[in-house]
Amino acid sequence: MKRVYSLGTVVLLSTSLVVSGCGSNNKANESSPSNSATPSASSSASNGSGEKVKLTMGSWRTDDKAVYEKVFAEFNKQYPNIEIDFSPTKSTEYNTVLNTALQTGEGPDIIHLRPYAAGIGLGDSGFIEPINGLPGLEVFPADVMAASTGKDGNVYGVPMALNTVGIMYNKKIFKDNNLEVPKTWDELLKVSQSLKDNKIIPFGFGAKDGWILSMTQGAIGPAGYGGNEFVDKLLKGEKKFTDEEYVQSLQLMKDLVPYFPDKFTGIGYEDMRTFFATEQAAMYVLGDFDVGVIQTMNPALELGVFPIPSKVAGASPTVSTYVDGSYAVNAASKHKEEAKKFLEFATSKEFGNLFANEMKRVSPIPGVTATDPVIAQFAELANTASTPYLMVTNFNSGNPTTKVTLENSMQALYLNNMDAKKVAEELQKNVDTWFKP
Amino acid sequence: MADKPKRLQRNRWSIHLFPIPALAIYLLFIIYPICAAFSYSLYDWKGIKKLEFIGFQNFKNLFTLEPFNTMFWNALEHNVIYFVVQMVVQNGIAFLLAYLVFQKIKGSGFLKVAYFLPRLLSVIVVGFLWKLILNPTYGTINVLLDKLGLDSWTMPWLGDPSTALISIILVNSWFGVGLSLLIFLAGLQSIPTEVVEASRLDGVRGFRMIRTIILPLMIQPIIMVTVLTFIQSFEAFELIYAMQGSMGEPYYSTDTMAVFFYRTAFGGSSSDSVAIGLGSALAVVMFAIIAIISAAFLALTRKVNQE
Repeated sequence: MKRVYSLGTVVLLSTSLVVSGCGSNNKANESSPSNSATPSASSSASNGSGEKVKLTMGSWRTDDKAVYEKVFAEFNKQYPNIEIDFSPTKSTEYNTVLNTALQTGEGPDIIHLRPYAAGIGLGDSGFIEPINGLPGLEVFPADVMAASTGKDGNVYGVPMALNTVGIMYNKKIFKDNNLEVPKTWDELLKVSQSLKDNKIIPFGFGAKDGWILSMTQGAIGPAGYGGNEFVDKLLKGEKKFTDEEYVQSLQLMKDLVPYFPDKFTGIGYEDMRTFFATEQAAMYVLGDFDVGVIQTMNPALELGVFPIPSKVAGASPTVSTYVDGSYAVNAASKHKEEAKKFLEFATSKEFGNLFANEMKRVSPIPGVTATDPVIAQFAELANTASTPYLMVTNFNSGNPTTKVTLENSMQALYLNNMDAKKVAEELQKNVDTWFKP
Repeated sequence: MADKPKRLQRNRWSIHLFPIPALAIYLLFIIYPICAAFSYSLYDWKGIKKLEFIGFQNFKNLFTLEPFNTMFWNALEHNVIYFVVQMVVQNGIAFLLAYLVFQKIKGSGFLKVAYFLPRLLSVIVVGFLWKLILNPTYGTINVLLDKLGLDSWTMPWLGDPSTALISIILVNSWFGVGLSLLIFLAGLQSIPTEVVEASRLDGVRGFRMIRTIILPLMIQPIIMVTVLTFIQSFEAFELIYAMQGSMGEPYYSTDTMAVFFYRTAFGGSSSDSVAIGLGSALAVVMFAIIAIISAAFLALTRKVNQE
């Protein structure tokens, strides 16, 4: 018997990891009916036209509660009987919580759907109600709708934000050093060099966080491959990542190294933003979604934004865009019709205005005007100079995903373990495992 | 008279009923998840949807399919490094400190508490704190080196693959030294004073005392610390996650099996690359490695005890 117990001890000692890993895996499955699912069915089951209905909205945007209260207040002016409760989950946990809830036939009525492959996957598995022909959808251009359209053409969501990545710059530093916004890649390098000569860090940038690498490459890269023409050919399979255009786009990232902060391989997202917000760095490659934070950190900063000038002769400057997510209806919801009413509302200009001004982000709804000048500038660039952020819009699949492969290979690029050509080869190798043109 | 032994016998058996509540908890929260993980690893998955039974294909993929096989061996190697460095640095220092405290030098009570103090912090706090200290631009270490005129020694400690893993292990050693110290100290205190005094009378001093008298009598706490360090090294996750995230950045240089497992089974925050089958297979392999080697260690202890 003693022997049995001590054998048990071995098992117990050695399992604490497996417990933390698979335990949570299991636990989530078991407990979701009582725990993670939001009470979608708790309100009155059937409803006549005049009866009050309570909906829940799931989201990963935990910071947006106050904004959504304003949005819902506006919505209730039109639909006083539909009450919506905003119940967000932490971004990193959201997918897991939502997935488990959906599998057990629960979950919020209105869902913040992740863009592209991840969200579409849920739709194609039947968890999301198709909203083909929903009034209002026609205002969105096709490339925006691609973020929530399934393989068979079913539409699963109303796009909510169009993230736009460009080069933000400190107007005051540019003015003090007599610098103009660069129009070509060579001018950009010249501007960077003179900033460096004046002891100002040209780019607030760091290579420690993988997602920063893919996002910066997504913005800078088109300057190397010349924008949308190459993208079309790449998606049709006529071009490959190993072609010289794309290799050049990676090389450009490497060419910027002299203009990054000292020891940039150890600098993460918060630190690089601090460089820019505290006016130690003059430029910062990131999206409109960071404008609010930067303005809060340093309200005196004179912020401007310009598109990335191209290295390819004759190609115009670009900003990279991608849809950040969309509003979708849970296929298992008891109040699909009411939820669709909100989705309809989310296509309206008044919603777009609320969204753009309260959240300080670019709305995908055409004709929306932002009051913040920087956001307005971002929005205009998104309308006139956009190219897709490829790693999110088209290459966020595979295992590991092509995006993750790029991030890790680029870390190797900056650590001098790989050259641009080798990075391109790694990408192509990964793409070959899953991508069909 | 005749029924007394019988009653004793019944009582003897009833003793084995007492572990039942604890056993039930272990069955539910440990044995069941292990079995479930094993069953998950035998299926094909599409995202979070279980598809058909595919036998040991996931295990085969783990060892043969690029890039998972490279990642697996890479991660395993880091776990081994983790263990070796922790044994030498953390436990080596812990032993010396324990011996020092045992000598009842002035303030040894205070020192004992001081060395144990980091252990009271949450791992997340420790990770955050050291991330600041190791920051390449304003971190204490680089600033200090700079002030000392050693600016050529400054490094992006967590951003360079040659220093990232070792930095994290050393932070873990700083965190864990107190516990090893306490175990060693308890071991030292259980050595009969007569033995030490007798050998001292025989002229044994200093390092020779440690090597010939103390160490052989400390074999049990040493094995215990070794087992604990082994398990902790092979499950290394929290500190790496807190300091480097789930990608084992930079360029997989801080990847360990547990981080690899987390990434594979649950994916990142906005990608669809969850592979529950493969992740479960990895969890089962990890469990097997840890269980077998821990059992070997414990068997060794039993042998030592019997001698």
